Amino acid sequence: MDWESWVVSTLNRALAYGTPLLWGTLGEIYAERAGVVNLGVEGMMILGAFSAFAVAQSVGDPWLGLLAAAVVGAGAALIHALFTVTLRANQYVSGLALTIFGLGFSGLLGARWVGIPLANPLPKLTVPGLSQLPVLGPALFQNQSYLTYIGLFLAVVLWLVLYKTRWGIVIRSVGESPATADALGVNVFLVRYLCLAFGGAMAGVAGGFLSVEYRPAWTEGMTAGTGWIVIALTIFAAWNPLRAVWGVLLFSGLYHLAYRLQAWFPPEFLKLMPYAFAILVLAIAGLRGARQLAPGALGIPYTRGEK
Amino acid sequence: MRKAIIGAVLVVMAGLLVGAQEEIVAGFIYVGPIGDLGWTYAHDYARRLVDEEFDWLTTMYVESVAEGQEGAIIDRLVAQGCNVIFTTSFGFMDGTIEAAARHPDVIFGHCSGFKRAPNSMSYMADFYQVYYLNGLMAGALTETGKVGYVGAFPIPELKRHINAFTIGVKEVNPEAEVHVRWIYSWYDPGAAKEATEALIAEGCDVFAFTEDSPTVIQVAAEHALPSFAHYSPMLEFAPEYVVSGQLVHWEAIYRDFLLKVHQGIYTTTNLQHVDYWWTLPQGAVELGADFGVAINPVWEDELKAYVIQHPVFGDISVYDLVFIRLSQFADPGITFDPFQGPLYDRKGNLVVPEGMWLSYESLITMEWAVDGVVGPWPGEPEG
Repeated sequence: MDWESWVVSTLNRALAYGTPLLWGTLGEIYAERAGVVNLGVEGMMILGAFSAFAVAQSVGDPWLGLLAAAVVGAGAALIHALFTVTLRANQYVSGLALTIFGLGFSGLLGARWVGIPLANPLPKLTVPGLSQLPVLGPALFQNQSYLTYIGLFLAVVLWLVLYKTRWGIVIRSVGESPATADALGVNVFLVRYLCLAFGGAMAGVAGGFLSVEYRPAWTEGMTAGTGWIVIALTIFAAWNPLRAVWGVLLFSGLYHLAYRLQAWFPPEFLKLMPYAFAILVLAIAGLRGARQLAPGALGIPYTRGEK
Repeated sequence: MRKAIIGAVLVVMAGLLVGAQEEIVAGFIYVGPIGDLGWTYAHDYARRLVDEEFDWLTTMYVESVAEGQEGAIIDRLVAQGCNVIFTTSFGFMDGTIEAAARHPDVIFGHCSGFKRAPNSMSYMADFYQVYYLNGLMAGALTETGKVGYVGAFPIPELKRHINAFTIGVKEVNPEAEVHVRWIYSWYDPGAAKEATEALIAEGCDVFAFTEDSPTVIQVAAEHALPSFAHYSPMLEFAPEYVVSGQLVHWEAIYRDFLLKVHQGIYTTTNLQHVDYWWTLPQGAVELGADFGVAINPVWEDELKAYVIQHPVFGDISVYDLVFIRLSQFADPGITFDPFQGPLYDRKGNLVVPEGMWLSYESLITMEWAVDGVVGPWPGEPEG
């Protein structure tokens, strides 16, 4: 057993397994930064997984499949927006309903696509030059997904937008204090709609990644709870796109390691490890006052004219 | 001729007396979605086959039923007119037996358990012989001497399958090991993928699994490594890399049982000892990654070129050995079983003495790991 194989497989798998988690988490961060919790991530992901597969298989282009996933994910999120932003329904209930709807509806539509492998999965990417580096080459630059690098790039861009631009200030103020933002002339409803739609598109692509690249096939319920991990990682990342990268890589690295370590440690314990670790970090963050990190108006429907 | 007619009349009358079911409405209760391409998919595929085959049969099903919810669903199906109900998850066992007492006029079948009632039988199509045959091929194909196995849960069913598989591997390749990883889920493509990647990182180069998706096959193929399919036809998920696999024919059991209910042979009073434990000879399972393809032709040459010195058959290729064993299994006068002594567990204890076979009871309660299994084995006997 050589240390190289451990470093390589852990990093390589952390990036691969973490890619859908990263896309989903970045999307949810924007939705929650605008003040709306969306527990429908799992539902939007599975709808994305299904539409990506169906379109990729029918049209023959996995990229078009991912585009379809983004559109469908955004569409599903707009339903959530309609209920929670315009109709001021309970955000948690509406999100759960979206998840249940997504799982059921995709299963219904997807019945005839079960048992068929995707003819043309998304190609893998081996970065010329960098992939020849010792250890880091195979760990980070061989057989990776385009979506992995795009996701990392997006994390940086989204962080810049959120903290260094006027748009970012608008989004954050809508999530912190919608009444103040409204008084300053910001269209709170529009911002929330847009952020939710963006989050939905990201979740859709995350699901699409699963069905056109990670495991190129469609089966019912194939997201298998990934959407819930996204919601936990959003809190774990303290609603910060860059911290999301570390959170996702940590979680995914541990997730992979759990299977390598099974030879030495009880598998029940290892299966628990990434989740236990996440809870531990959340607890520590809570003690150190992470509560203040959450957007002030998170989960509260906004009504004009009320204080 | 007259005797035959009288006999036929008597059979029909007897049937009427004990309650033969002219029209059967069969309800199926599934634990997963019918689109899982695994366990539930296979049961539902069989349901559709028998539904088409018998015009006196109508069927209905309820999918994705959580364990513990089966009682209410059974009541609903009875209210909808079902007179035969199949429950297809181990966790439905107690609920089924309770429901059988509540509905004495309804016939029940519970899959993969061991409890029965006068109106409730048990049934299972088991793969251990097929896993052994897959093991023979895996042992021939591994170059690193490490075969990978991704398992769902460490329960007797999987332990029996992994042991049978390992016995096959070691029969043709005594130095080889079978490395096991558990994912603690029947259906979790992400977990199955990462477990496979972990095994690949540790040097495994041939793969088998028990989990309800084609994930392991697809991951192995990405690394250009051979694998064995599980449960459903998965050949087209990696036509170049899937060697063989295990296929189920639940319809064999459903056909036999429903026909006997229809004929009045099985009734609401005589099922206490009816236990279908069907394997290769009854046609409930099949060797292959697709129906009718026992071994993928792509791998034929390699398996024919791997010749071993077998204690019984002398110089023989693994390809031929697989088919000899297959015909032995199909022989109604059973002449071979993978679990025949002497067999040692991996701690060195003699588990099956020379000249002995394992009983059905020992097979379905198996906890020990055979010599050659590497990796965690929760529930392994001490000593």
